[in-house]
Amino acid sequence: MGIQTLIWQVTKKAFTGGIIGLTISDRFCSVVPVRGDSMFPTFNPQRDSYLDDYVLVDKFCLKDYKFARGDVVVFSSPTHYRERYIKRIVGMPGEWISSTEDVIRVPEGHCWVEGDNKASSLDSRTFGPIPLGLIGGRVTRVVWPPQRLSKIGG
Amino acid sequence: MAEISKPMAWNGEGSIGASINRRQVSLFDPRHRSLHNLIHSRPSMLPTLNLTGDVILAEHLSHRFGKIGLGDIVLVRSPTDPTRMVTKRVLGLEGHKLSFSADPLVGDGSVSVVVPKGHVWIQGDNLYASTDSRNFGPVPYSLVEGKALLRVWPPRFFGSLR
Repeated sequence: MGIQTLIWQVTKKAFTGGIIGLTISDRFCSVVPVRGDSMFPTFNPQRDSYLDDYVLVDKFCLKDYKFARGDVVVFSSPTHYRERYIKRIVGMPGEWISSTEDVIRVPEGHCWVEGDNKASSLDSRTFGPIPLGLIGGRVTRVVWPPQRLSKIGG
Repeated sequence: MAEISKPMAWNGEGSIGASINRRQVSLFDPRHRSLHNLIHSRPSMLPTLNLTGDVILAEHLSHRFGKIGLGDIVLVRSPTDPTRMVTKRVLGLEGHKLSFSADPLVGDGSVSVVVPKGHVWIQGDNLYASTDSRNFGPVPYSLVEGKALLRVWPPRFFGSLR
């Protein structure tokens, strides 16, 4: 009887903790790993996958979708809805981006994202400008590994 | 749009949300509730949803599992203004080929398009008064945030949205 109530207590506490954690991660900030080297040297400068950076993603910016050129953002892929990418915004709505052949205007409600490592980055140069609605948060800090603790952007 | 909260307490991630969260959330952030009522009062979905404000019950879970099908009425974050949600019908999934009339008021010129991978084609039922994929193109699937289930108000029209 004692074991049962104990298990029930632990389950309730774990459940509550889980909900609180989920709400915080959904609404305030969350920590995500950075995979790949499309944002070299900003993230993952070592190119060893066991030393991947973990970054803090701020979700307050999603209230009004106020972003600026230079923000590093997490967004859902426009072609594979389950995947998420981390890239930098280099063009806001109304701005002009020059690509190889011509100059492209970023439409209303969209943004142009590019990885810092242009040589190996799947970004707007491939899939075009992305709607701002796809963005899931802005990266503000690197939180792991501890020697790379730092603030991103101004 | 005003939101009315129903007493069911599931939040957007599929777990039981504390009722404190839902009260704060219901006025400002419809994004994460799993089930909520929505008042629709624009002409773009006539005659399915009328002008004086129908209240529909929408759920926010099936799009996470890819269960949005042809003909569903969905809530989509507008690709031209991310702070707005629009309600439209899905008329094409990825890979589908669609033909539509470029401007229904001006004759017959028809345009053919294939919906690219990861995108859906949404259109309002009222072709003459709806800005939808005919204007802004197919939208990425991730912008779909909910599916309408049934109409709950006015009570004489309670029921499915066909």
